[in-house]
Amino acid sequence: MQTEINRRSFLKTTVLVAGGFMLGREFLPVLRGAVDAAGPVALNAWIKITPDNWTTLVLSQAEMGQGIETTMSAIIADELGADWTLVRRENSPVGPAFQNPRIHWQFTGNAESIQSFHTYIRTLAAAAREMLTGAAAKKWGVSAASLRAENSHVLEPASGRKMSFGELAAAAALIAPPENPTLKPRESWKLVGRVNLPRVDVPAKVDGSAVFGIDVVVPEMVHAAVVFPHAIGAKVASFDAAEAKALPGVVDIVPLGDAIVAVAEKYWQAARALAAVKVTWTEPPAGNFDTATIDALYSDAFAQKPFEPVVHDGDPSAVISAAPAGKVLEVEYRSPWLAHAPLEPMNCTARIDGDRCTLWAPTQGQEMCQLVVALTLGIPKPNVTVNRTYLGGGFGRRLIADYAVLAALTARAVKRPVKLIWSREGDMRHSSYRPAFIQRARATLGSDGLPSALEVRLVAPTILKPVSPGPFPNPKIDPLCVETLDELPYGIENLHVGFNLLEVPIPTMVLRTTGAGPNLFFREALIDELAHQAGSDPYRYRRHLLKKKPGNERLLAVLDLAVEKSGFSKPRADGHFLGLACGHGFGTYFAQVVELSATPDLVIDLHRVVSAIDCGQVLDPGIASASIASGVVWALSYALSSELTFKGGGVAESNYDGFRILTLPETPSTETFFIDSNGPLGGIGEVGPLGIAPALTNAIFAATGKRLRTLPLKRHAGVKTGGVLNLS
Amino acid sequence: MKIHLKVNGTDHDLDLDETTPLLWVLRDELGLKGTKFGCGKGLCGACSVHVNGEVVRSCSLPVKFADGASVTTIEGLRTAETLHHVQQAWIDEQVPQCGYCQPGFIMAAVNLLNKKPHPTDTDIDHSVTNLCRCGTYERVRKAIHRAAQTAAEPLATAETQTPSSS
Repeated sequence: MQTEINRRSFLKTTVLVAGGFMLGREFLPVLRGAVDAAGPVALNAWIKITPDNWTTLVLSQAEMGQGIETTMSAIIADELGADWTLVRRENSPVGPAFQNPRIHWQFTGNAESIQSFHTYIRTLAAAAREMLTGAAAKKWGVSAASLRAENSHVLEPASGRKMSFGELAAAAALIAPPENPTLKPRESWKLVGRVNLPRVDVPAKVDGSAVFGIDVVVPEMVHAAVVFPHAIGAKVASFDAAEAKALPGVVDIVPLGDAIVAVAEKYWQAARALAAVKVTWTEPPAGNFDTATIDALYSDAFAQKPFEPVVHDGDPSAVISAAPAGKVLEVEYRSPWLAHAPLEPMNCTARIDGDRCTLWAPTQGQEMCQLVVALTLGIPKPNVTVNRTYLGGGFGRRLIADYAVLAALTARAVKRPVKLIWSREGDMRHSSYRPAFIQRARATLGSDGLPSALEVRLVAPTILKPVSPGPFPNPKIDPLCVETLDELPYGIENLHVGFNLLEVPIPTMVLRTTGAGPNLFFREALIDELAHQAGSDPYRYRRHLLKKKPGNERLLAVLDLAVEKSGFSKPRADGHFLGLACGHGFGTYFAQVVELSATPDLVIDLHRVVSAIDCGQVLDPGIASASIASGVVWALSYALSSELTFKGGGVAESNYDGFRILTLPETPSTETFFIDSNGPLGGIGEVGPLGIAPALTNAIFAATGKRLRTLPLKRHAGVKTGGVLNLS
Repeated sequence: MKIHLKVNGTDHDLDLDETTPLLWVLRDELGLKGTKFGCGKGLCGACSVHVNGEVVRSCSLPVKFADGASVTTIEGLRTAETLHHVQQAWIDEQVPQCGYCQPGFIMAAVNLLNKKPHPTDTDIDHSVTNLCRCGTYERVRKAIHRAAQTAAEPLATAETQTPSSS
């Protein structure tokens, strides 16, 4: 036993030190010696082969529209030498083999499925390939080096003989997995980076057959609907379920702390019963706060609270104090409270069997669901099985497990399998939110027109804590809140960034773009303001500032490309104006240009958004472009329209009428260009939205001279449909 | 209340609470899960189906108002062998992201194309009012234009090309 533990520790240490991957015992064949003649042979936890020569890939990452199911499969198929038309997929259970190898935790998010898993899954596939070629070599009595694996066959080019993976799998499973298999060079990949693969999930998503969490059916299942208090933190004080229980089909009415759940044979019976329950809620612990109450917490933090230094170079305070009056730019930028609002409302199906629980969930946090439900039910973690379905949007919301806990508790209460579906109102009002970010800055320019000093203070509540079990390196700094302000690409000698981690009576968490989104809105709009003050062109100004710091070659390249493709620096006669933003986030460099026209009284018409992206290598150009384009549209929603406000101690908005998202007529055309720098792999899923809000407000400034520093822009007036935004 | 529905060409006699929205009759009584619940208020369009040839947001239509009606859902567009040409256009343009809203978009697009075989961008703007949280609108527009073309030249659509690994 001791030896085994030491071996595991050794393997983990080696992985961390080498940055590479070795095949630990977790990945040995799980079905060795128990192979069904007609069933699948597992070469490792991810790769199973059946005698009919199909390869089944067991995938760890949730498909929520980002195309990971396709790209991950293609990476493995390429490395294995599998015929793409003979590959099928299933969703993984929770297990060590499916954890993110960077942090040993199973989740989908942070645009890191490819970044973290790429080498790992190639290593698993290469090992399986060497086991298959090894099995053929043994049968034929030749050297494995003389064999190739392709099209789901192992072949000997010299003789032309070949055997299928299906014929070889059982023998291959008996071969010890190689610890350092040889990975194929990029040049020999046939799928990855070579073709725009049709996404494997698309056919089921156009004929209605794709199974999302809300579509799960389990034998003996009943349906549940849930209502929450309006006020955050309020609980059930008392309830009268007599009338509700008398309604047809009703199984039970279950109080669960801050929720009342109605259970019935059919969903609509549950929803009707819920409306008939008379419930009173306790007074909320934080009182009946409203938007002004929350705004005041931020103002109070700026006025009175200490700020923890994130960056401190030189002496910006002294430089700014010495600057002549009128030469100091002082600004405040605000990004609003936001809900994730995925189109599929929170839901989960749960079944309890003694001390075991089975869940079916559209989840980004498969291990989080297992852990939290196990803790809630007081059963061992391995006793909770989590089956992952397709996700009808995630955007971070599905990293946490509140929907799974409610379903599990309901199933335990009624002793039947239960599918619990939240209403849209519940989804929007009983969530954890991306909090408002407010940045205040002072800056002054040197004689060369470039900023000689910049002081930034950021106030935001935590977004990382609810999704990450570990403590922060500095407990006063949420590392995600300060993203993109902690490492400015611009050369500014006197620079201070301070952060105040605000306590608020509202649950907060990550949303797509994490802290980078709101901080880039501030940062890239501020650079535009400084360029204007210096009388410089925003493109050339950025170039000068980027050139003052080493290591900006890739950022400069995407900046140049976006400017070239958008015609940013060219004179125009069509009355269109362009705004620019650039940066680095999630391992990827980006520059984006928004093109619009505007009247002096702020009637805005969006025309085009150009994105230039360097994510190291583009593994699937079609899927990557689609992801960037949809990220652009997603960001336009929150830049223009989406916002949560508060009243009565809870969220005021309850549905898509109050929480507006972009519509088809409002959507501009998008163009995306990639630079293949062959650099380390960067993320894509979080990147599309990053530069949109600042590029948009910079373009509005270029067109009108008006600097809009508070999102969403509808705050500056109404938003018209038909592609025209009336901001006057 | 006894309700008669013809759904995707099949007759159904049901006895149920007449206030049940058509959406939940389709999903829970008839097992047609392709029609989605998004907002419950007719705002997002994920629940769009055709009732007597008109596109309807089924989350907000009590089934008593559909008594005797002919209903088409996303499952009823294709035959066993062939996709509807609008579905094929959706595949050719690789429209979906998460895909949850897409059956509703497709039902809205089919309805538009039934009425206007060659819609302009303005026609699309006015007719397709569904919400997509992922932001696939640009490809929705392209797919509608493509479907208008392929309808004019039936059987021209091939199965989506699948690259071979050879």
